[in-house]
Amino acid sequence: MINEISLIHTLPHAFKGMELQHPVNASQIWLQEVTFSRPAVYMIEAESGTGKSSLCHYLYGCRGDYSGSILFDGKEITSFSIDRWCELRTRALAYLPQEMNLFPELTVWENIAIKNRLTSHKSDRWINHALERLEIASKAHTRAALLSVGQQQRVAIIRALCQPFDFLLIDEPVSHLDARNNTIAATLIQEEAEANGATVIATSVGNKINLPVTSTLLL
Amino acid sequence: MNSSIVWRLLRRNISIAQLAGYAIANLAGLAIVLTALQFYRDVTAVWSDEDSFISRDYIIISQKVSSIGSLLGNSSAGFSEAEIADIESQPWVRRVGRFTTAGFNVSASVDMGGRGMSTALFLESIPDDFIDITPSDWHYTPGKDRTVPIILSKEYLTLYNFGFASSRGLPQVSESMMGMIPIRLSVSGNGSQQWLQARIVGFSSRLNTIAVPEEFMEWANASFADEPASAPSRLIVEVNTPGDPAIAQYLDVHGYESAGDKADNGRAAYFLTIVTAVVMTVGIIISLLAFFILLLSIYLLLQKNRGKLRSLMMLGYTPWSIARHYCIIVAAINAGVLIAAIAVMLIASALWSEPLASIGVTPASPLLSIFTGICIMALITAGNIMAIRRNVKRTFPQPHKP
Repeated sequence: MINEISLIHTLPHAFKGMELQHPVNASQIWLQEVTFSRPAVYMIEAESGTGKSSLCHYLYGCRGDYSGSILFDGKEITSFSIDRWCELRTRALAYLPQEMNLFPELTVWENIAIKNRLTSHKSDRWINHALERLEIASKAHTRAALLSVGQQQRVAIIRALCQPFDFLLIDEPVSHLDARNNTIAATLIQEEAEANGATVIATSVGNKINLPVTSTLLL
Repeated sequence: MNSSIVWRLLRRNISIAQLAGYAIANLAGLAIVLTALQFYRDVTAVWSDEDSFISRDYIIISQKVSSIGSLLGNSSAGFSEAEIADIESQPWVRRVGRFTTAGFNVSASVDMGGRGMSTALFLESIPDDFIDITPSDWHYTPGKDRTVPIILSKEYLTLYNFGFASSRGLPQVSESMMGMIPIRLSVSGNGSQQWLQARIVGFSSRLNTIAVPEEFMEWANASFADEPASAPSRLIVEVNTPGDPAIAQYLDVHGYESAGDKADNGRAAYFLTIVTAVVMTVGIIISLLAFFILLLSIYLLLQKNRGKLRSLMMLGYTPWSIARHYCIIVAAINAGVLIAAIAVMLIASALWSEPLASIGVTPASPLLSIFTGICIMALITAGNIMAIRRNVKRTFPQPHKP
C-alpha cells in the first residue's frame, strides 16, 4: 500500500532558524530531498537531540510540527483522513516507538494480543514461538510493568510485527539489549520484513540493530 | 475477547461515585418532569371531560346592560356579524356558538298535583355540540315529532326546589320527576297560535337558559315570528386556555360580560398550568445540570485515560471503536435512569389516582409522559455520545500542519 516515502525539505519547527548550524547543516535528511523505497534497510544514525524520535513520529503521522513535506507515494500525508491513518497503521506501516507504549497493567500476552486481534495477522503459535525465541516466554503472563526495559523492548518488537507492513519504523529497538538478543531480534525482524517485501527504517544513537543495512543516513 | 482487553484498559479511572451522582441527579430531574407532566394531564383530564364539575372550556358572553338603555326601553342590539367575526379571530377562541332567541310568544302550563300553573316563557337554542349533555330524544322534526324536548339549566331546578317550592309549600321534584311532567306549550305570533306537547329531557350545568333543539326553533321562528330573527344577544364560546387574562381583558375592552363562575374555575386551571410549567422547568434545569455533570465526568475520565487512548489509536484502533465503550456505559446508565424515572412517575400517578377517582376522574394514559421521557433521554444520550466521540477524535494522533 506504500511503495515509497519521500521527505522534501522537511525540518522540525524546533530547528527553525538553525538551518546553517549543527546538526541541520550536516543532516542528510533535514532540509534534503530523501526517498525511502522498498525493499531496503535504512539505518539512521543520530546523536541525541537531533530529532530522531521526531522523524519517526512524523513518518508515523502522529505529529505535524514540521515544515516542508512528507509524501507517501507522492501524496501529502497531512491530507490523510483518520480512517486512512487507521488503515495504514494496521496494514502498511508498523512502528516500534522508543518509549514502546506498552500498557503496564496488561500482561505480555495481552499487550501483544491487543494489536494482533486488531489485525488478525499472527497465530497464537507464532506469538508463542517469537516469545520463546526472544527468551521471554516465561514472562507471557506477567504484567508489563514488572518487566525490565530490555524485556519490554522485546515484547514491543513482537507486537510491532503483528501486522502486515510495507514499512517498519524502529526507533532504537535494541538500546537495552545485549549483543545476543540484538541478533535474535534482528533475525526475527529481517524474516518478517522479507516476508512482507518491506523496508525497515531503524534509528540508532549507538547500539545498532544487527540488520544487513542497505543505506546509512546521518540525521 | 479483544474488546474485553480494551475495555479492561478503558474502564480504569471510571469514577463510580461520579456516575452514581449523575444518575441520581438526572433521575431526580427526569422524574420531576415526567411526574409533573403526568399530574397535569391527569388533572386536566377533569376539564376535558364534557360533563365534569369544572366545565372550563366554555364561557357564555353577553353585552352589558346599561342602565340608561334599559330605562329607555332599548334592549341590547345583540352581536353583529363583525363583532362575532372579531371574537372568532381571537387566539384563545376555539369556536363560537350563537344563542337563537324565539321571536314569538311562548307560555307553558303544567298540571302539578291538581294545581294548574301557567307562565310566560322564553326559549333559546344553541348548536347541539355546545350542549354538555346529549339526551336520546334531543331532536325535533316539525310535523313528525309531537313532543318538543327541552333542556333546562340545573340552576332553575335548584331555584325551584330550594327557593320557590319550599317557601310556597309545593313538592320538591327530582330531575327524573321533572322529566315525567307533561308540559303544554302555547306558541303564538304572526296571527296564529298552536298548542304543543313538551317535556324536559335533561338539565345542563353549562347553559343558563331554557333550550330547545335548533330544528324546532327554526321552524317556530319561521311560522310564528313577526320579524326576521334578530342578532344573537348571547354567544357561547369554547376557549383554549381558560383563565387566560387576555379573555377578561378582551371582554372588558368590548363591554361584554361572561356568565357564571366559570371564570374562577378557569383561573384555577390557568394557575395550575403555570405551576406545572414552573415545576417542569425546575425538573428540566436539574436534568440539564445532570447532563453537564456527566459530560464533565466523562471529560475527566477521557483526560485521565488520554495516554491510553492515544496508545490504542497509535496501534491502529479507530476513535469510534474506543468511544463506543464509553457510549455503551452512558447509554446503559441513561436507559436505567429512564426506566427508574418512568417507574417513579407511574408510582406517583398510582398514588394520586385514588383521590382523583373518588371525585369521578379517570386518569389520562401515561403513554405521552413515557414518550416524552424517551425523547428527553434520547436527546441527552445523543448529546453525551456526540461529546464523547468528538473528545476521543480530538485525541487521535495525526499530523495537524499549522
